[in-house]
Amino acid sequence: MTVSVLVVDDSPIARKMLRKALPVDWDITVQEACNGEEAMTHYRAGKVDVMFLDLTMPTMDGFEVLAALQKEDLNCFVIVVSADVQPQARERALGLGAIAFVAKPVNAESVRTVLREYGVLV
Amino acid sequence: MSTAGASPAPAGFAAAGSAAPASATTAPANLSEDQTAALQEIANIGMGQAGDSIARIWKQFVALSVPRIALVESGRIPTLIHHFVGDARVSAARQAFHGAMRGEVLVVIGRGNRDQLGELMGYDGQLDLGEEQEMLLDIANVLGGACIGGIARQLGADVGFSAPSLIGTDLDSHAVVRPEELCVSTALCVEVCFTIESNQLSAHLIALMPREELVNLAQLLDRFLCNL
Repeated sequence: MTVSVLVVDDSPIARKMLRKALPVDWDITVQEACNGEEAMTHYRAGKVDVMFLDLTMPTMDGFEVLAALQKEDLNCFVIVVSADVQPQARERALGLGAIAFVAKPVNAESVRTVLREYGVLV
Repeated sequence: MSTAGASPAPAGFAAAGSAAPASATTAPANLSEDQTAALQEIANIGMGQAGDSIARIWKQFVALSVPRIALVESGRIPTLIHHFVGDARVSAARQAFHGAMRGEVLVVIGRGNRDQLGELMGYDGQLDLGEEQEMLLDIANVLGGACIGGIARQLGADVGFSAPSLIGTDLDSHAVVRPEELCVSTALCVEVCFTIESNQLSAHLIALMPREELVNLAQLLDRFLCNL
């Protein structure tokens, strides 16, 4: 079954880097959002299975997205992708329901490891 | 004692390595939109690594601002720094980097909370001037190394660092950089603010690269973009 992936980052370069790090053998459709509000619009349209979420964004940041998703039953996997690599940022993101925390710059290996760990990718 | 213990060298690019050429005829007018977007994200990651390094020393969560990037005439740099830092009296140190990228990093810290900062850095009680200077150099070294090192790594560029030096410990934020002492007419400026919210403590890191360096930087960014 095709998996719907949403890449959320205000930086077009970061979105490109993330897309490049996704496994080529993964059956997916990819959409992009450049802030938290856009991400929530995609989510509410019911089109997100896996969300790759940046933390530092204007309008609505990654932590706010995680909190909003929790209020709305969090019906997707969220993998936080962050330049802020402090342990507290990781703990806070995981505490708000993210399944994993990947440090920027992302690489294909770390993304694949996380997806395998959670059974998202066989 | 406005610049007590200050380094005799002026704050600016003059000390950042070999003398910058006076003309900038080969320098591009500006970075392209793609190059700027790439630099923004690369700086974001570099600053994240610097934030993590300083958070480990301070044992506190450090909030990071989104890096601001601007190409500015050297005469406007003091105003820009004042805009970033505000009206408070500041202490500042600098560290030059050289190699595939050349420029310098300024670390500017509001002076009001220096004893709290001293405590986070492991000093006891009220800081004397020597301790304050030592602390500033340590912070400049950690932030400068982690940030520029992080940026250079992503660009596949080798950079080296000079030892950090003091600009001054009780300065007006307009006086951190004196444009008449800069050897360049235009500079690329990247700024980020590290804040410990509970202590209202913040440190600004400002990386300055002479405009002549834009040619090298643009090439490094193009190579990075090609690999995306």
